[in-house]
Amino acid sequence: MTDLKISGSTSTPSIECTLHPTRVHMKGDSYPENAFELYQPVLQWMEAQLASAGELTMDLELVYLNTSSVRIMMDLFDTLEEAHKRGCRVAVHWYYDVRNERVAELAGEFREDLTLPFHIQPQG
Amino acid sequence: MNVTGDSEKRIESLLADPAYADHPLREPLAQLYRQFQDQLRQLDRITRISDRYQDAARSEASSLGERLSKQLRQVEKIARISDRYQSMLRELNERLEHESTHDALTGLANRRLGLARLAALIAAEQAVSIALIDVDNFKRINDAFGHEAGDRALVGVARTLRDPLGGADLVARWGGEEFLLIWPQIELATAIQHAHALRQAVGACTLGIDGSVLRCSASFGLAQRHDGEGVDELLRRADAALYAAKEAGRDRVMLAR
Repeated sequence: MTDLKISGSTSTPSIECTLHPTRVHMKGDSYPENAFELYQPVLQWMEAQLASAGELTMDLELVYLNTSSVRIMMDLFDTLEEAHKRGCRVAVHWYYDVRNERVAELAGEFREDLTLPFHIQPQG
Repeated sequence: MNVTGDSEKRIESLLADPAYADHPLREPLAQLYRQFQDQLRQLDRITRISDRYQDAARSEASSLGERLSKQLRQVEKIARISDRYQSMLRELNERLEHESTHDALTGLANRRLGLARLAALIAAEQAVSIALIDVDNFKRINDAFGHEAGDRALVGVARTLRDPLGGADLVARWGGEEFLLIWPQIELATAIQHAHALRQAVGACTLGIDGSVLRCSASFGLAQRHDGEGVDELLRRADAALYAAKEAGRDRVMLAR
């Protein structure tokens, strides 16, 4: 198991999955042509990490997501939620720019139905 | 069932009774009874299997139903979140659109929007009059009272020019201390009246700065579009009239030739 880094572009976020600390960090906008292709390695990395380390923190600084990215994010959160129910130590921190409160509202929509620790925090 | 149970017991005891061991009906009855028992067992088995199939089908249907409703909830959530992202983008677009066509300081249309409006009127061959306006001695205000005072003066002039008494369809910040006014479908005489009224209003405005009272004035170069005239030529004539107003001593309206 190694770190996973995917550099961002104007239509995709930069993604960093690190082992120490066990963390997934995503920053930017996400409207890739093929969201599944982009996020599949991330999902696999997360699943493997949850199985071996049993802990994972997700730090998100995402602004715009297209529909397929929304879908994938829900899958990532479901994976974390299942791990949380198994007893893994997981947490999500979703940071948003105070000048764009709508991002916080959207993060709140994602948080609905989840029981894992999910913090929506203003930044800047 | 009890009736069957009772007759079964009776037949079993009759078949077991040695008194009837040689009865000619005993053997056919015993055979019939065995067949009956076999069929009963068969029926039981079929019923049991069939019940299990029904159970399996029912639980599969209910788990399909659960999965379906879970997926429906998920799709609804995706759609809801996605819709909100779209409206966020739309609002952002509107804000960018506004920012790209308006001046941040005065809130007026910027040069780009002013030019676009003028070009649209001219493309539609509409009668139009315009004025280019320049705040007099603006550099002196800036030098004497600072840029902040200069900005406040520009905001004050902008507010005055936008006043309905000026009758302008559009007021744009044309450059540093220059403004453009557009009056479509207007008699030249009326445009001149409006320009004079605005010039007086600008002169009547005062701005209190550090205890002293600042008074502005502005020069106006007014031009009415000639038939067939393009944007550039109309603006050039208005600019020449503005220059003439400055040359003649400022704080006045000059009509383009």
